[in-house]
Amino acid sequence: MRPTLKHFFDSMGSYLARPEQDTLDRLFAEHPGWEAPRSRVALYGDFVRGHVRTSLEKLFPLTRGAAGPEVWDSLVEGYTLTRPARHHELNHLGEGFAAFLADEGSRRGLAPYLPSLARFEWSDFAVFASRSPMPPSVEGLTANPTLVVLELPFRICAYVRAKGQGAPPEPGEELALLWRHPAQLVTYFMAATPHALLALKMAVEGLRAADVAAATGVAEADIADAVSRLARDGLVLAPGS
Amino acid sequence: MVATYAQRHGLGPLGAGIGLRRSFYEELPRTRRSLDWVEIIPENFLSLGGRPQRALDACVERWSVLPHGVGLDIGGPDALDVDYVTALAALVKRVDAPFFSDHLCYSRLGGVYLHDLFPLPFSEATVEHVVPRVREVMARVEKPFLLENPSYYANMPGGTLPEADFLRHVVEQADCGMLLDVNNVYVNARNHGYDARAFVDALPLERVVQIHLAGHTTYPDVIIDTHGDRVCDDVWSLYRYVLERTGPVSTLIEWDQDIPSLDAVLDEADRARGVLTEVAAR
Repeated sequence: MRPTLKHFFDSMGSYLARPEQDTLDRLFAEHPGWEAPRSRVALYGDFVRGHVRTSLEKLFPLTRGAAGPEVWDSLVEGYTLTRPARHHELNHLGEGFAAFLADEGSRRGLAPYLPSLARFEWSDFAVFASRSPMPPSVEGLTANPTLVVLELPFRICAYVRAKGQGAPPEPGEELALLWRHPAQLVTYFMAATPHALLALKMAVEGLRAADVAAATGVAEADIADAVSRLARDGLVLAPGS
Repeated sequence: MVATYAQRHGLGPLGAGIGLRRSFYEELPRTRRSLDWVEIIPENFLSLGGRPQRALDACVERWSVLPHGVGLDIGGPDALDVDYVTALAALVKRVDAPFFSDHLCYSRLGGVYLHDLFPLPFSEATVEHVVPRVREVMARVEKPFLLENPSYYANMPGGTLPEADFLRHVVEQADCGMLLDVNNVYVNARNHGYDARAFVDALPLERVVQIHLAGHTTYPDVIIDTHGDRVCDDVWSLYRYVLERTGPVSTLIEWDQDIPSLDAVLDEADRARGVLTEVAAR
């Protein structure tokens, strides 16, 4: 690459890393005689910032609502400066947002549940878009291959179920299960229950309902009903379902 | 008579198509309306499973599917992303696409994806930089490749060539095809104060294999190529002007923002098909 072209890219890279008036001035200073209207060049900085903002707003609607407009703006600006777009698919730039909130939480005085909420919302998308192959049929009870298990220090599932309305999430350990329904192809989620964990254990370890009933004292019919219900929801895949 | 790029590669006009967008994943594969082919943005299908894949598979069953990328970064300073190109080649093969395309621009700097199409300086230095990259992509994907003329809102510093000459040098030296975005020609002509028809006349039209039509958004001091509206009358007129010189060319209605109903987009495709039919009948 000729030096003139390398210089062009280097100067644009410096501007786009932090598109502000001073960096725009510096960009033009790097190219004496460049007569393009500055407002037109600034559009490109706006585009880069805009893509990060719109992607975050699409991926994290509840986190945005919980943060409030001013805090959200500040978080988006701060996250944009980390240059998060490292993947050719646009939504992937949100992958590090929950960790960013966790790092920035105390310094910015964020509500303590925000990182957990963001982690949940990212997992919601990641499960929706999972590329884990879904078997066309199974011979035995099988855990949904898109399943993600989150250990959260707040009760996020109920808050998400209520679409962020009502009181903030209560502190308390929660095991959130998220998976993509095999037919509807949308994300399902639940706070783990004993029945759900039992069904997953049966799937992973190949246990039969009769054996589990004998070992736990739970009625076999109850176990079979729970497995059947969870199979309808797609948490586990059952033969013939 | 010299064979066109399409003739050399056995690429006939496919008719009028639309893009497979998220809001159409369920409805498009089941539509009973006329549609000749479908375009996909490969970035949406290379790394996302679930609904996008089901929709893509259903479309492949019914139509020709053409991948039109936004992340190849053919003009950028970073090395080509070999993993991306390899995955793209696999996708092109999977959908059995007769050709694929991306934009003559850059879209990545220092490993950061800009997720937009950034204009290059129109210069010999840029031609020299881009041409071997185009050849490498074509060698890796092993299918005919088209470069699209992008919209741009400012001339970049270091330009030494007229825009049409720049486009011509790249596609001729790389020996690739051209995707002519007629809306981009219109938007650029308006934004930079040149004659759109004269610009078209200066292009290597014998290399045009596909056309894009789209809407744009007009602001007081600039027109932005938003793909967020119907195709305006001036662009339809310019489209006819192009087709009178090229003959029928596979034409896509691009609608990416404020996407309306599927029927509204298909109405635009019907209109394009009508123009294609008229031109073919002459």
